[in-house]
Amino acid sequence: MHIRSPRDFWSGLIFIAIAAGFMIGARRYGLGDMHQMGPGLFPTLVGALLVVLGAVVALRAFVIEGPPVPRFYLRPILISVVAIALFGVTLQHLGLIAAIAVVVLIGVLASRESRPLEVVGLVVLLTVFSVAVFVWMLGLPIPLWPDA
Amino acid sequence: MQTLDNLLFGLEVALTLQNIAYCFIGCLLGTLVGVLPGIGPVATVAMLLPFTFNLGPAPALIMLAGIYYGAQYGGSTTAILVNIPGESSAVVTTLDGHQMARKGRAGPALGIAAIGSFVAGCIATLVVAFFAPPLAEVAIKFGPPEYFSLMVFGLIAAVVLARGSVIKAIAMVCVGILLGLVGTDVNSGVIRYAFNLPELMDGIGFVALAMAFFGITDVVANLEETDQGDVYKERLGSVLPTLQDIRTCFWSIMRGTSLGSLLGILPGGGALLASFAAYMVEKKIAKPPRNFGEGDIRGVAAPESANNAGAQTSFIPMLTLGIPSNPTMALMIGALMIQGIQPGPQVMTERPELFWGLVASMWVGNLMLLVLNLPLIGVWVRLLAVPYRLLFPAIFVFCCIGVYTVDNKVFDIYVLAALTGVAYVLLKLDCEPAPLILGFILGPMMEEQMRRAMMINFGDITVFVRHPVSALFLAAAAILMLLIALPSLRAKREVALQE
Repeated sequence: MHIRSPRDFWSGLIFIAIAAGFMIGARRYGLGDMHQMGPGLFPTLVGALLVVLGAVVALRAFVIEGPPVPRFYLRPILISVVAIALFGVTLQHLGLIAAIAVVVLIGVLASRESRPLEVVGLVVLLTVFSVAVFVWMLGLPIPLWPDA
Repeated sequence: MQTLDNLLFGLEVALTLQNIAYCFIGCLLGTLVGVLPGIGPVATVAMLLPFTFNLGPAPALIMLAGIYYGAQYGGSTTAILVNIPGESSAVVTTLDGHQMARKGRAGPALGIAAIGSFVAGCIATLVVAFFAPPLAEVAIKFGPPEYFSLMVFGLIAAVVLARGSVIKAIAMVCVGILLGLVGTDVNSGVIRYAFNLPELMDGIGFVALAMAFFGITDVVANLEETDQGDVYKERLGSVLPTLQDIRTCFWSIMRGTSLGSLLGILPGGGALLASFAAYMVEKKIAKPPRNFGEGDIRGVAAPESANNAGAQTSFIPMLTLGIPSNPTMALMIGALMIQGIQPGPQVMTERPELFWGLVASMWVGNLMLLVLNLPLIGVWVRLLAVPYRLLFPAIFVFCCIGVYTVDNKVFDIYVLAALTGVAYVLLKLDCEPAPLILGFILGPMMEEQMRRAMMINFGDITVFVRHPVSALFLAAAAILMLLIALPSLRAKREVALQE
C-alpha cells in the first residue's frame, strides 16, 4: 500500500485521535440512555461520527492522489507561539507594559526582515497606543505594572 | 406598514448621537484594519472586540456590524491596489480591479466598488427588514427536534458551499463540536474535559479560538510567504467613476445585489460565495464588449455589490435563528453572548431595539462608508505602504490584549498560544478552519436541543423524521450531501470555487 495523499492521511489520523480522546474521556461522565442523555453521550456520538469520517479520510488517501504535506517552517510558528505564551506569563507577573515589550521583542524574531531600530520604535508606539486606548480610553481592567 | 414603522423605530435607535458615533468608529476601524493586507474580517472583528465590551448590547452590535462591513470594504481597496485580497471575498475583485489599477484607472475602480457596495447595502438592508421578521415568527414555533435538524442542515450547507473536501469539512465540524463541549455541562453540572483546570470550567474561550485560527495562523502563513505583492505607487486620480462607467455598471450592480442578498441568507454563503457567483454570472451575461480579467469595470462592480449584500443578509439567519452562516457571524454570536444575550428568534420580540437598531444602522453605516471612503481613499492608500514586518507584531499585541480582555484571564492567552499550534498543523494539512468555528458555536446548542427532543419523546430517535419540518431539514441536508457526491456536480463546484 502506498499513501497517495499524505495530507488526507495525516488529517484522518488526527481526527481519529481527537475523537478517541473525547470518547475515552466521555466514559467517565456517564452515558445515560437515549431518554435521559448523560453528559457523556453526545460527545460519544459525535466522536463516533468523527472516527468514521477520519477513517474514510485516511483510507481514501490510499486511493485518491493529493499534494504532499507542505513544508513546516518552524521559525515563524514556534516563535509566535512562544511570544504569545510569554505575553501571558509577563502580563500576569509584570503587567501590560512589560508584556507588550516581550511579545514584540520576541515576536519580531519570527520574521527575518525585522530591523532593530524599528523594533524599538514599534515597542514604544504600541505601548503608548495600547495603554492610551485600551486602559485609559476604554477603561479595560488590565494591570499596567507589576503588583507591588 | 408594520415594517416601515419598525424601520423608523430602528432609525430612532441608530440615529442617537451615541450610536452614530459607535457606528462611525466601527466603520472607520473596520476599514482601517481591513485595508491592511493579511488581516481578514474575522481577525478584524476578533481583534476589535474589546472596543465593545463596555458598551451596551445595541451599540456593541452596531459597532461590530460597522467593523464587519468596514473590513469588507477595506479588503476591496487592498485587492484593487495591491492585488492582495484583504479577505477571501475580495479575491475576485483582484482579477479586474487590479488590472484597472494597472491601466491607471484605480480611482474609478475604488469609486465603483464604494458606490456598488452602497447601493447593495441599501437594498440588502430592506431585504433584512422584510425577510427577518417572518422568518423569526416561523422559527419561534420550532421545537427541539426542528432546531436540531435545522442546525444539522445549516452545518451541512455551510460545508457543502465552502471550498475544499466536504468530508474533511464535516470532520472539522465534529472537532469544533467536541471542543465546544469542553467545560461545565449545563444540564448535569458535570465538568467535561477540563483536565482539572478551573479555568476550563467555562469552556474554551471563543475569541481565543477564533484568533488562533484566523488571526495568528494567518500571520504565520504570511511570514512563510515572501512575495510582497504588487503595490500601486502612482498618484491616485479622481475616484469618481464617469457617468459612462455608472451606466455600464448599473445592471451589474443590480444583479450582484440580488444574487448577493439571496446567497447571503444561505448558511455558508455570506460574502465569499456571493462575490464568486456574481463574477461568474457577470462573465456570462454582461453585455458585450466583455473584457473580464483585463480590467472590465463590471468585474469590480458586480462582486463588490454582491459581497456587501451578502455580508448584510447573512445577519438574517444569525438574528432570527441564532445560527451563524459564516465565521464572522459566529463571532457576532460570541459577542452577543458576552453581552448576555442568547441569539435566536426571541431577540426580535424581546429586544426590538437591538434588531431594528442594527438594521437601520446598516443603512447609516453604508452611507458613512461612502462618505468616509471616497475622500479618505488617499489615507488608506498610504496605509498600504506600511511594511508587514511592522504590522505583524502589532497584530500579536492586539490579539493578545483582545483575548485577555474578554474575561481578564491570562489563561485564555495560553489557550491562544496552544490553539495556534493546533491551527497551524491543521492548516498545513489543508483542513478548513471555518467549519470548526461553526461547530464550536453550534455544538453545545445541538447537544441541548437533542437532549430536550429525546427527553420529551422518551428517547425515540425517530422523532427527527416524524416531525415534518425537522424531516424537511434533514432531507434537505441529505440531498445536499448526495448532490455533492455526484461526480458531475462535484466537478462543477471545483471549477466554480477555483475560478
